[in-house]
Amino acid sequence: MAEAVSDAALVERFPWVQISHDNKHLFRGWLDRQLLIQRCRDCKRFHHPPKPICPACWSGRLEPTAVSGRGVVHLAMFLRQGAPAPGVDYEKAPHPVVTVELEEQPGLRFTSTVVETPLDEIEIGLPVELVWIDRYGAPFPAFRPPGRAAKGGR
Amino acid sequence: MAGASGTTSAATGATGSRRYPIRDQIAIVGVSSTAFSRDAGGRSPASLACEASIQAIHDAGMTKADIDGVVGVAEPGAPRANQMAALLELPNVTHHAGPQPVAMFGMIDAMTAIFSGQCDTVLVYYAFMRAPWNSRSAAQDPFRRYVMMGGGTAKPPMPESMDPSAAYTAWASRYIHEFGASREDFGRIALNMRANAMQNPKAVMRTPLTMEAYLQARMIRDPLCMLDMDVPVDGADAFVLTTTERAKRITKNPIVIHAATAGVVGRNDEDQLPSLARHGQHVVVESLRARGELWLDDVDVFFPYDGFSIITLGWIENVGYCKPGGAGRFMQEHWDEKTGRVLINGRVPMNPHGGSLSEGASRGTGHLREAVTQLRGDAGPRQVANARTALIGCGGFFFNSQGAILRRL
Ligand SMILES: [Zn+2]
Repeated sequence: MAEAVSDAALVERFPWVQISHDNKHLFRGWLDRQLLIQRCRDCKRFHHPPKPICPACWSGRLEPTAVSGRGVVHLAMFLRQGAPAPGVDYEKAPHPVVTVELEEQPGLRFTSTVVETPLDEIEIGLPVELVWIDRYGAPFPAFRPPGRAAKGGR
Repeated sequence: MAGASGTTSAATGATGSRRYPIRDQIAIVGVSSTAFSRDAGGRSPASLACEASIQAIHDAGMTKADIDGVVGVAEPGAPRANQMAALLELPNVTHHAGPQPVAMFGMIDAMTAIFSGQCDTVLVYYAFMRAPWNSRSAAQDPFRRYVMMGGGTAKPPMPESMDPSAAYTAWASRYIHEFGASREDFGRIALNMRANAMQNPKAVMRTPLTMEAYLQARMIRDPLCMLDMDVPVDGADAFVLTTTERAKRITKNPIVIHAATAGVVGRNDEDQLPSLARHGQHVVVESLRARGELWLDDVDVFFPYDGFSIITLGWIENVGYCKPGGAGRFMQEHWDEKTGRVLINGRVPMNPHGGSLSEGASRGTGHLREAVTQLRGDAGPRQVANARTALIGCGGFFFNSQGAILRRL
């Protein structure tokens, strides 16, 4: 379990993100291929991105909780230029970035890319599921329409 | 027209109903700009800020000793307020601050400092520089390497990070999905700004723009193209604010701030925004209507922010000129074929200086400067006849939505 990964080792596994005491659980979860979203033990609300308290009831009793990763595309864009990442070649094809509304709670959203899907099929309203790809040698959560044959990350 | 604004006024009841003692009490008495360029030719943001500040102080008929407040907006590379006090050797400063962009944060800080008595007269300045990450030519300038995105030392973003600039494109996709908006609806924003910029010698983009050219422009992040995004510039704007009481003594033409406000919703993380029907612009409109007594029927010139074209579509709708999703059609209905731009009811132009899309990316200071210039009657060939009231909708949807109503006394 990634619980055993020290803070220092965690930072070394994800040199490309800013890890803090408020979001460290999210990235520990990635190492276990789990999407852990902060949930309040008192009012049961999820929130994202991770905050030190529950913004709804101000409780500090938060629990990183695995979500299904199922949801519906809420926002969708296609980058023709942007930050570098392995496997992303803006010259070859636009890079899709979507914000997915997760099924666990209305308005709870997670932003990533879509894989294994022709670009013209990626649109708002598309149902998706979570798929783990590799980025810089660490698991990275992405989305694809459900029922796609897994062809590995890209 | 004011009564047609639907959801915006209902929440706060009649206009002018809220405690707002600062209404009309603070005036803008000095204004200046360096003009904008895509290469200021070996000048630093501090140099540009000094030029605009000195001119604005002179424009107010003042000297060093009159300035006891300095507000320097924290643009990347811009001098801080205490540094400006040193650059100008201001001897009497009792208030200095460095609010974040966009434009109204600086103006509101100055207003409240004056009204509360922390100081009497404030220099507010904004300096812009093309940064290595948003301008290829700037990337060639070794003296700009220190300027980091967002002014900080954050790690390079990943493609999937929802930074504000990407987030406007993402919400543009939602706007198209919800309302069936066309690319031409976005294109009309760009065309309006360009037609206006052609009348503004300070603007950087002054060549005519056609819809064909807009539709063929390079896509940056679909659904938005290069011409949906403001153009990085070097330049500076500066303003001098003081009490309306003093302004009446020193100028025959004081421009007063009738109402000004910022507004955010609780969930303003870019991708968690409640919806296109509920974000910072809605809070701003409710606040302006509660704090001010003037609204669309009174407005002679309209300044909707245009850092991204989608923001402008939002302002047109959210101030109540038309229903949600109706901005494209509204612009068509109020399009002046002769000048190739929007003239609301044949009378009210939208960003007559060319906005951030064509004058240059000033995070709204161009809008504020042009509002003062128009209300003074100093806008030359682009002057709006008898302009007495200006409405500014500044900033976007997330963390920097702001607005102001300015008027000539
Ligand atoms: Zn809670």
